[in-house]
Amino acid sequence: METPTEEEWAQINKPNWRGLGLTDPVKSVEDKWLLLPAFLKTKGLVKQHIDSFNFFVNTDIKNIVKANNKVTSDIDPKFWLKYTDINIGFPDRNESGISQKRLTPNECRLRDITYSAPIVVTIQYTRGKNIIKRTANIGRMPIMLRSSKCYLTGRSEDELASMKECPLDPGGYFVVKGTEKVILVQEQLSKNRIIVETDTTKGIVQASCTSSTHGGLKSKTYVVTKKGKIYLRHNSCHEDIPIAIALKALGVQSDKEILLLTAGTTDSYKDAFATNLEEAAKLAVYTRQQALDYIGVRVKINRRVIGPRRPAWEEALEALSTIILAHVPVNGLDFRGKAIFVAMMTRRVLMAMDDEKMVDDRDYVGNKRLELAGQLLALLFEDLFKTYNTNLKSSIDKVLKKPSRTTEFDAHNTLLFNGDILTSGFVRAISTGNWSLKRFKMERAGVTHVLSRLSFISALGMMTRISSQFEKTRKVSGPRALQPSQWGMLCPSDTPEGEACGLVKNLALMTHITTDVEEEPIVRLAFMLGIEDISQATGAEIYGPNTFVVNVNGTIVGLTRHAPRFVAQFRRMRRASRVSEFVSVYTNHHHKAIHIASDGGRICRPMIIVDKGRPRVTAQHVALLRKGSMSFDDFLKKGLVEYLDVNEENDSYIALYEDSIVPLTTHLEIEPFTILGAVAGLIPYPHHNQSPRNTYQCAMGKQAIGAIGYNQFNRIDTLLYLSVYPQQPMVKTKTIELVGYDKLPAGQNATVAVMSYSGYDIEDALILNKASLDRGYGRCQVLRKNATLIRKYPNGTYDRLADAPKDEYTGQTQKKYDIVQLDGLAGVGERVDPGDVYVNKQSPTNANDNTFNGQAASVPFKNAPLTYKSPVAGNIDQILITDTENDQTLIKVLIRQTRRPELGDKFSSRHGQKGVCGLIVNQEDMPFNDQGIVPDTIMNPHGFPSRMTVGKMIELLAGKAGVLSGKLQYGTAFGGSKVEDMSRILIENGFSYSGKDMLTSGITGEPMEAYVYFGPIYYQKLKHMVMDKMHARARGPRATLTRQPTEGRSREGGLRLGEMERDCLIGYGATQLLLERLMISSDKFEVNACQECGLMGYNGWCSYCKSSKKVASLTIPYAAKLLFQELMAMNVVPRLVLDDA
Amino acid sequence: MDGGNSNQQGMHTTPFTAPPRQEMEYICADCGVKNEIKAREPIRCRECGHRIMYKKRTTRMVQFEAR
Repeated sequence: METPTEEEWAQINKPNWRGLGLTDPVKSVEDKWLLLPAFLKTKGLVKQHIDSFNFFVNTDIKNIVKANNKVTSDIDPKFWLKYTDINIGFPDRNESGISQKRLTPNECRLRDITYSAPIVVTIQYTRGKNIIKRTANIGRMPIMLRSSKCYLTGRSEDELASMKECPLDPGGYFVVKGTEKVILVQEQLSKNRIIVETDTTKGIVQASCTSSTHGGLKSKTYVVTKKGKIYLRHNSCHEDIPIAIALKALGVQSDKEILLLTAGTTDSYKDAFATNLEEAAKLAVYTRQQALDYIGVRVKINRRVIGPRRPAWEEALEALSTIILAHVPVNGLDFRGKAIFVAMMTRRVLMAMDDEKMVDDRDYVGNKRLELAGQLLALLFEDLFKTYNTNLKSSIDKVLKKPSRTTEFDAHNTLLFNGDILTSGFVRAISTGNWSLKRFKMERAGVTHVLSRLSFISALGMMTRISSQFEKTRKVSGPRALQPSQWGMLCPSDTPEGEACGLVKNLALMTHITTDVEEEPIVRLAFMLGIEDISQATGAEIYGPNTFVVNVNGTIVGLTRHAPRFVAQFRRMRRASRVSEFVSVYTNHHHKAIHIASDGGRICRPMIIVDKGRPRVTAQHVALLRKGSMSFDDFLKKGLVEYLDVNEENDSYIALYEDSIVPLTTHLEIEPFTILGAVAGLIPYPHHNQSPRNTYQCAMGKQAIGAIGYNQFNRIDTLLYLSVYPQQPMVKTKTIELVGYDKLPAGQNATVAVMSYSGYDIEDALILNKASLDRGYGRCQVLRKNATLIRKYPNGTYDRLADAPKDEYTGQTQKKYDIVQLDGLAGVGERVDPGDVYVNKQSPTNANDNTFNGQAASVPFKNAPLTYKSPVAGNIDQILITDTENDQTLIKVLIRQTRRPELGDKFSSRHGQKGVCGLIVNQEDMPFNDQGIVPDTIMNPHGFPSRMTVGKMIELLAGKAGVLSGKLQYGTAFGGSKVEDMSRILIENGFSYSGKDMLTSGITGEPMEAYVYFGPIYYQKLKHMVMDKMHARARGPRATLTRQPTEGRSREGGLRLGEMERDCLIGYGATQLLLERLMISSDKFEVNACQECGLMGYNGWCSYCKSSKKVASLTIPYAAKLLFQELMAMNVVPRLVLDDA
Repeated sequence: MDGGNSNQQGMHTTPFTAPPRQEMEYICADCGVKNEIKAREPIRCRECGHRIMYKKRTTRMVQFEAR
């Protein structure tokens, strides 16, 4: 070894080498990742949804009612009704005389009803001369599972089991009419913030701001350049208003002040702005009054109440104070705040004109807000509640209009009789997904989706999904690209391929989405920390050196001359829990502004606070956490950990690992693997894979057949795929343990030999061992629901269930009724063969005849049985009989098929490597190693070089080591079991360190010429099975209209010779083949055409020429004949010109 | 639930030739009590009032193909 040189010694002995001296202890907080399970324990996997719903149901709904709390009457001025409070109860059965009032989600799923709770209001109203105070039930609201109003919250596993609920189910969805519905997270551009953009081709710079006040309308205000001049643009004005005039109207009258507020003292800005002042002068607008008059005539007036016309300047005042930039408060006629806001927008435009880099990025995650179930429901509720109140008012008016009443009018009765506007409104919106709220100009479809229950992971993946409002057709890459600011907030791997690529995103593991936090206390705190009121300041001060403008939720409240101190103090208050932990504060040095945000929908995540180069979380804290005497919330309260949103994250210096902490570091990541989401977290060693492979796996993990929940046998879903022997993976990840994938796995650990075998393994096909299949490898069950209603019709008739009909003479029942028992339902457990009847329902023939009023039993009935359609036999698994909400009998029959893998079934490993089964080989023909181990699967090595899924290779190695040592190994992202350690275990157990084994061919009995990479890999069976897709047809049904073969497998359709195939035949000149495929085998039709008039006749007779002389018979496609007739119906005459071929 | 086929097949099959019908039994999903279900009556457990019933497994032998 070399002795260190003088210089190196000096370097080492320097007291502050990266902020550390030689004597400093080596810092390390072992197992700080334990914060993650602690976080998930307090918050759960879908905390965003649940928090948002809780906020709505406990806080927001009260605010909405408070804003609309009075109902008065036009008839009786003395009458009033006031809502003093609103509460949501717990879900209950909506029927009387039941001892058990509690309604469980599982009962709702089974009975096709809605998991909803009553909405109870406390009202005060006048009855005669008295004021009555009482409560009333005004409707029912669907309740989110595991929210604070759900019975499942805070239950133990045993209690959940007694309610037939799975403890691993994340909740966060609704049960509406028996179907599980999710309100997906919606991504939007943030409200009330200025966004500056440029259009380089047109040379336009614009600053826009979408204002949104609580319960108010949204409107967008622009400050734009047009031919070098700046204008204010808003929907409520006919034309753009020169910015100087707008500012004058807002009370900034002198040109000097305008110049100061916008351009400040910067000369280049002044030069660019000067022309705008000239513009105002040219238009002869000098005073505020003139400016208001100028704007007033350009404002669109839409007043419903016809009254005396107001002068223009009043219209302008109204528009400026309530419509334009509605979120900036105007107290009385004090427009100062709004003037400064407009000036600030103008300045941002000037800055962007001067330096084109000073624009904002709308794809930056910090400029996005996520809209959750709570916000959408709040809008819906507000709309419905307003409708309810107007209806209530009109029905109260109707009663009060009557001159004399027998009893004193009691508004309570009217309230109760006022229909189910709220109940049906909620159910309709959630079950259709159409949020059409005219009142808020909102028209959105596809807001809700049915929760996919293909596998546990698909359900979980759906809960973390974020859909974007962007159009899918537009060809811009910006919104689809991976943003650096997504780091740790949104999963970089989990996005679909194809048209929605990059638009549909998924949340990372540790993210949280904020809910609204009250603004006033924050403003008060800011003032107490020494900011100066903005309305006292002039441009000279605002844009002076070292002054920073303080914004709260986008509105300018003040300015400070000590920005770093202010921000540090504010953060200290937050860490001391004096303000909500979700309030963020950050400095924007480009705009010289401090932004405080407390609005809902910001994405944030927790991070360890680093102080003077040391993380605040120490080994002692982790030990306490491990003991269970400290929870995640304690870490928050003690100021060891804090939430950072994207903007504040951008203002921090975050160390990824502890050893990379430097004196400037402010935060430390809790665990790097949390940048991935729940679905991508299942991949072992994802950091060794080529990135698209991880994305492919994210899509495929959702199609894997496995266990879907502990209650899977108590559920009756339309279609359920279950694995018969699911196994937890040999190579786990920490994420797998956290989400519970090890308890509800979807796959099996297959012993894989990576070698070539026969020719049936090309193109990623897999060879399966027949003996493994016999032992249950890849075996799955398919459960299909068949439901029917035994209806009672309005005319008194009803459906009935009949026993199997007996043959009149022999007394035998037909084969297809074999399993139908006396109650008309098949016996549970019986085998159902194709064509068998399993519910022998009969319907009255006159069910829709409402004039009928005879004996219901004497009506003739027609058979309406449910018959089994699948080509493969199944077994009746369960038959459930129940009543729906409107007292119709509902019968659900669950039919089960057990399937073993067959040729063509699809499998995949966890690395985006899918393949179909190409060959099933007898065990004796498979290769084996010297211990006699035979692989379950043989995979072709050609799958590796181009895919570069090194993670799969390491998974095999770690899996093999795990099998040999009897332990599960970890393949956690950016960590996991090391290859070197795995190789050591292999060597210790007498295997090659490389994972390769010597195999003997099962066919020849000779040893293989090469060593074969051999070991366990976790394989998933995907839902695409040959049995469900196999289809062929020679002759079969035809569509009635065109007489062409039907389309699709379910209709036993024909196999289409498409237009591209047609082009091939044309190109080749195979006319006879074309003729046969497109006409003779499809819809050939004999027509009689008249050579004289060219029209079609019949039976050799032309009814146009009244002659049979020149009628010829020819064969054309029926669709062509149909076309001619349709053209004739439109007054177009197609004539056939016949010629000898 | 109601043997409608005696009507459907023709009126000449007189009721007395029909075998004495014992009611089918159903199991309450909540408490497991055996219940009978009558046609056009609400489905409700006589013990606990629960509204979901499952049909009992057939007494016939069921043979599976062990593959």
